Amino acid sequence: MDLNLNRADYLQVGVTTQKTMKLLPASKHRATQKVVIGDQDGVVMCFGVKKGEAVAVFKTLPGQKIARLELGGVLNTPQEKIFIAAGSEIRGFTKRGKQFLSFETNLTESIKAMHISGSDLFLSASYIYNHYCDCKDQHYYLSGDKINDIICLPVERLPRITPVLACQDRVLRVLQGSDLTYEVEVPGPPTVLALHNGNGGDSGEDLVFGTSDGKLGLIQITTSNPVHKWEIRNEKKRGGILCIDSFDIMGDGVKDLLVGRDDGMVEVYSFDSANEPVLRFDQTLSESITSIQGGCIGKDGYDEIVVSTYSGWVTGLTTEPAHKESGPGEELKINQEMQNKIYSLRSELEHLQYKVLQEREKYQQYSQSSKAKSAVPSFSVNDKFILNKDDASYSLILEVQTAIDNVLIQSDVPIDLLDMDKNSAVVSFSSCDSESNDNFLLATYRCQANTTRLELKIRSIEGQYGTLQAYVTPRIQPKTCQVRQYQIKPLSLHQRTHFIDHGRPMNTLTLTGQFSFAEVHSWVFFCLPEVPEKPPAGECVTFYFQNTFLDTQLESTYRKGEGVFKSDNISTISILKDVLSKEATKRKINLNIAYEINEVSVKHTLKLIHPKLEYQLLLAKKVQLIDALKELQVHEGNTNFLIPEYRCILEEADHLQEEYKKQPAHLERLYGMITDLFIDKFKFKGTNVKTKVPLLLEILDSYDQNALIAFFDAA
Amino acid sequence: MLLPVFTLKLRHKISPRMVAVGRYDGTHPCLAAATQADKIFIHNPHTRSQHFSASRVIQSPLESDVSLLNINQAVSCLTAGVLNPQLGCDTLLVGTQTNLLAYDVYNNSDLFYREVADGANAIVLGTLGDISSPLAVIGGNCALQGFDHEGNDLFWTVTGDNVHSLALCDFDSDGKKELLVGSEDFDIRVFKEDEIVAEMTETEVITSLCPMYGSRFGYALSNGTVGVYDKTTRYWRIKSKNHAMGIHAFDLNSDGVPELITGWSNGKVDARSDRTGEVIFKDNFSSAIAGVVEGDYWMDGHVQLICCSVDGEIRGYLPGTAEVQGNLMDTSVEQDLIRELSQKKQNLLLELRNYEENTKAESSSPLSEADGHRGIIPANTKLHTTLSVNLGSETQAPHTELCISTSNDTIIRAVLIFAEGIFIGESHVVHPSVHNLSNSICIPVTPPKDVPVDLHLKAFVGYRSSTQFHVFELTRQLPRFSMYALTSPDSATEPLSYVNFVIAERVQRVVIWLSQNFLLPEDSNIQNAPFRVCFTSLRNGGQLYIKVKPSGEITVNTDDIDLAGDIIQSLASFFAIEDLQVEADFPAYFEELRKVLVKVDEYHSVHQKLSADMADNSNLIRSLLVRAEDARLMRDMKTMKSRYMELYDLNKDLLNGYKIRCNNHTELLGNLKAVNQAIQRAGHLRVGKPKNQVITACRDAIRSNNINTLFRIMRVGTASS
Repeated sequence: MDLNLNRADYLQVGVTTQKTMKLLPASKHRATQKVVIGDQDGVVMCFGVKKGEAVAVFKTLPGQKIARLELGGVLNTPQEKIFIAAGSEIRGFTKRGKQFLSFETNLTESIKAMHISGSDLFLSASYIYNHYCDCKDQHYYLSGDKINDIICLPVERLPRITPVLACQDRVLRVLQGSDLTYEVEVPGPPTVLALHNGNGGDSGEDLVFGTSDGKLGLIQITTSNPVHKWEIRNEKKRGGILCIDSFDIMGDGVKDLLVGRDDGMVEVYSFDSANEPVLRFDQTLSESITSIQGGCIGKDGYDEIVVSTYSGWVTGLTTEPAHKESGPGEELKINQEMQNKIYSLRSELEHLQYKVLQEREKYQQYSQSSKAKSAVPSFSVNDKFILNKDDASYSLILEVQTAIDNVLIQSDVPIDLLDMDKNSAVVSFSSCDSESNDNFLLATYRCQANTTRLELKIRSIEGQYGTLQAYVTPRIQPKTCQVRQYQIKPLSLHQRTHFIDHGRPMNTLTLTGQFSFAEVHSWVFFCLPEVPEKPPAGECVTFYFQNTFLDTQLESTYRKGEGVFKSDNISTISILKDVLSKEATKRKINLNIAYEINEVSVKHTLKLIHPKLEYQLLLAKKVQLIDALKELQVHEGNTNFLIPEYRCILEEADHLQEEYKKQPAHLERLYGMITDLFIDKFKFKGTNVKTKVPLLLEILDSYDQNALIAFFDAA
Repeated sequence: MLLPVFTLKLRHKISPRMVAVGRYDGTHPCLAAATQADKIFIHNPHTRSQHFSASRVIQSPLESDVSLLNINQAVSCLTAGVLNPQLGCDTLLVGTQTNLLAYDVYNNSDLFYREVADGANAIVLGTLGDISSPLAVIGGNCALQGFDHEGNDLFWTVTGDNVHSLALCDFDSDGKKELLVGSEDFDIRVFKEDEIVAEMTETEVITSLCPMYGSRFGYALSNGTVGVYDKTTRYWRIKSKNHAMGIHAFDLNSDGVPELITGWSNGKVDARSDRTGEVIFKDNFSSAIAGVVEGDYWMDGHVQLICCSVDGEIRGYLPGTAEVQGNLMDTSVEQDLIRELSQKKQNLLLELRNYEENTKAESSSPLSEADGHRGIIPANTKLHTTLSVNLGSETQAPHTELCISTSNDTIIRAVLIFAEGIFIGESHVVHPSVHNLSNSICIPVTPPKDVPVDLHLKAFVGYRSSTQFHVFELTRQLPRFSMYALTSPDSATEPLSYVNFVIAERVQRVVIWLSQNFLLPEDSNIQNAPFRVCFTSLRNGGQLYIKVKPSGEITVNTDDIDLAGDIIQSLASFFAIEDLQVEADFPAYFEELRKVLVKVDEYHSVHQKLSADMADNSNLIRSLLVRAEDARLMRDMKTMKSRYMELYDLNKDLLNGYKIRCNNHTELLGNLKAVNQAIQRAGHLRVGKPKNQVITACRDAIRSNNINTLFRIMRVGTASS
């Protein structure tokens, strides 16, 4: 069955954050629902839709930025009380807009996530989780990494209260009271949690999660262990997931999964007979989808998906057919409505324009006086800088509430900017004199009109670290720009993981000296991505990492006065040694560095690289042949005369070319890593082998695994 | 929403820009396109192509309705149309780097096969000016040539650089077509027959041109720009990060006015309104577009827009009917309008809020450190810019310098300059390191060509610790001759080469021209006529003298013939001079040209000799092969072996000979280009009628191989002494 949804824009409010829009339950059967939305200006607005026009029910005064908006109420009654989290305060409104609750929590940080169930209130700030019952503090937990979302399994269906935290370090933490029951590892940093089917599925324990790298999954949280049900990998490289809802939009009696992503993608998954999700519908809006919910608001009898976007648009994707297909009389009427809407907007605009003109003049006058000051208008930039596991590159995503004029990218480390098909901005690289001004990359992106979101891909080199800066200039008056900084860490291609293979040959680097736990943690934070900024609780901590490009691993264990780093890749150890000693010298701390090199590990790493290298070489060879083979095919008319290998290449030509395009400079990167490995191996021995590098490259050009290993051994 | 009326997937690749539709049998439109392996395929969906059964054409083994045509040379341009009106059917014209073939597909015969020394980069077919018969005009290395259906060379002229695109368009609305020529030196030139009537300078190589209607035409550049000109004024242009592979004018929304259809390298096709550049329709292909053409492909009386991708996908679109006018896109217009208006409203509200916040900041305490962090700066902060000439130092080459400074203690975090044609990309960024931040920045600018350039500056102004900056936007114009520094006259170094001409203008006006086109130091004041100024080029240190006599006689001394031409053209446009005869002498350049001409003769004779050798060798091969095979049949293996060895050696010789011929040919092309450029430069020194006279006379002199006359013409401007 095909799903055909038509877009209808209802209203625009201020900039919204994740999960800040909800639909109030319908009061009568089959009546339209009201939308309630909170924005970053602190305004809560409730509105209904009449004849395509948004009619406000209530609107509060501006205040602190609203981080979350949830509905609640007495269990097993319609959930129509509105709760918002703003700063460290929780406020409650009735559906008429009357404030009945204002609860100042004792949290020092502002609230990031909230879940409400009856009289239970689950809150989390960056690292702290708190459970309140009737506004009384019940339980408390300090998480090892940032908490992105929080949910509680339905208390009306289960005999216990089971809060689940989605934490940045790729785990869901299942709690019981103030204690951790167990951790569930998920494939990416989870950003959102939702109850399956809205009620936790058949068992009441089923939980859907979405990750910042665009993966979805279903997990059953039993009392003792997690059961992974299914997982959707992000094959199409779509954006991270920001919101999930369950609603039967297909109208087949089974609730479908509605997903909103940060690249503007709205997806609908339905479930087949085996309860596996199948993608049924997708449509892209141009900006982040912050909230999503199914319901009926535009017209009685037509279900729709209501989404709110980053810049505050409330948009419906409705099953109501577009006016072109409806009767001739009706069409005219709808057009009339549209016309009215446009007319009122225009008159509103005229009024505003006049006002702005006046203000502009005033501003000009101010600039004449010598005492006056000129402030820069602030605008919010929604940014994300994440490592993609698939191609070991970073994505930088910038989103602004208004159209972006241009973005200047500056970096003081050598990095490559990759072209993205998705963005249409015209990029221009500027020459940079690196010595005097610390610039390795200067590039401007001039955006096309109406671009609010810009996505860039960046390839870094391990061992080269520094800062990437983005100067974002939107198209608003007075013209202003905001700078954002992103750290490129020394081991930038490493990713946190929770399990490593202890059977591998490891090289060890041991640091001892007079340093505190916080100090050694700050060094690790400086070197590696995905490490929490705050030192974790406890005296000794262990983190595991995986190199996303080579799949080598790193284990770091440290406490006050001692740090042990183990990796099967010599280069990793070498980089760590250089950076750590530099950092310690900067703080004038005397460090004893001892290392233990395992000769076998080099061979092991080369063996890890081997299949990748061989695959790439073969791929390059095949792609080279494609054009020639195609020409032969045109000449001869068939491919029967070719050997099966060539025929196979021809059949897979498109696929091969796509694969090849996906991994630009992959071979060069592998060569670079092998060269580093070679240099580092001998650096630890105290010999400089830079002169032998050309020889190594020669061997790589006619690659053979044994010859390479022999060369490493012999040199 | 406009959907394709047909979609075809051919199993042949299509080379970019090499697509044409023609009625080769007089009735059925067929698509011809260049494909891999130096072949052209003709797709004929109407009749099984039984009549294409001749030697040149072979049936494609992949598809029954496609025939292949072997060219044996890389195809560099392709078109189809009526060349011989008596023939009653269209002719296929194929250009390569050395030849032009006019081919009658239906009768399988060549109309003509001409050698063209300058190559054929672009081709256009149609009537030009007053020439009655249709011409196939090809553009090659600085040269334009037009052939009629018998292969007669009826039109020949030169242009500034290698031609990349051609179009015929009624530029001056006189009912006759003019030739538009886009070339590698970024210029679009308009030829009314062989007279240049207009020149427009663009920012990159012009890759495509297409007539729209009336005097309007579309153009595309190699940097991803497309746009529309009406006569010499540009209506609009847009720039994309992709490249325009083909442009075509087609009325897709049936409003009576053709839209500019662009096929992009990323597979996108869009139709833009000719007036505003607004997109009214778009579609996506899975691979890059190879070409956009039109034709009544289904033979139902409606002309379709046909888009082809490099992978052989072909889609045809019928124009939308009048009812759906403006509704070619899938989202409804009202929705978009509402969204746009709301966005505007939101922007205005934001701006209003900005002013409010500003007044709030106003009322608070005087400037503090924290304010700086938030980006609050004194309201009277001003940005000063000065342009000056920097003679350089040991470490730095001489350059033009742009200095930007703020009027107080605020710092400039970074400067973005958007300008066309003077940087590698479209912008240049100066981002000092944190230690070197100050309230002024000096930026070296070295424009590679003498053209006036608008510099659009964006300066980020704030304090050291700011995370938000004010963006000051301003535009400065870089004068045309900014790369010349005023120096004290020193007659010893005065260049021998000069141009000399008389203009009827007051000296003061010449001084105004000087100050507008050169970067003169502020304290320089030029006395009354006669005066003499001396400049030094920052590029190569060459001297430039401009001497003005009270009579209005101006002498410009420089060894750079291009510079002299630029100065004359600049003066002519400043004083609106229509015709200007100039006396010129460039001994060094002329000597070089003389050498080039001698070389051209040499290469020509070498070429002939090599061709003769090759013919000899091929005879030899034939006999050797026969003898070797004879020996084989006689089972005389020893002789056979030695014959084949000889054959092998001969083959090697042939290969070597081929390489020599290739080198000879490239040298020849280079020299021919130099000759063509010399004629163009001689013309560039004059304005209006004398300019065309010089070009025509030079051409005649070269044809008659009269070198001395050629130089006299270049000197005095006419052939008669």
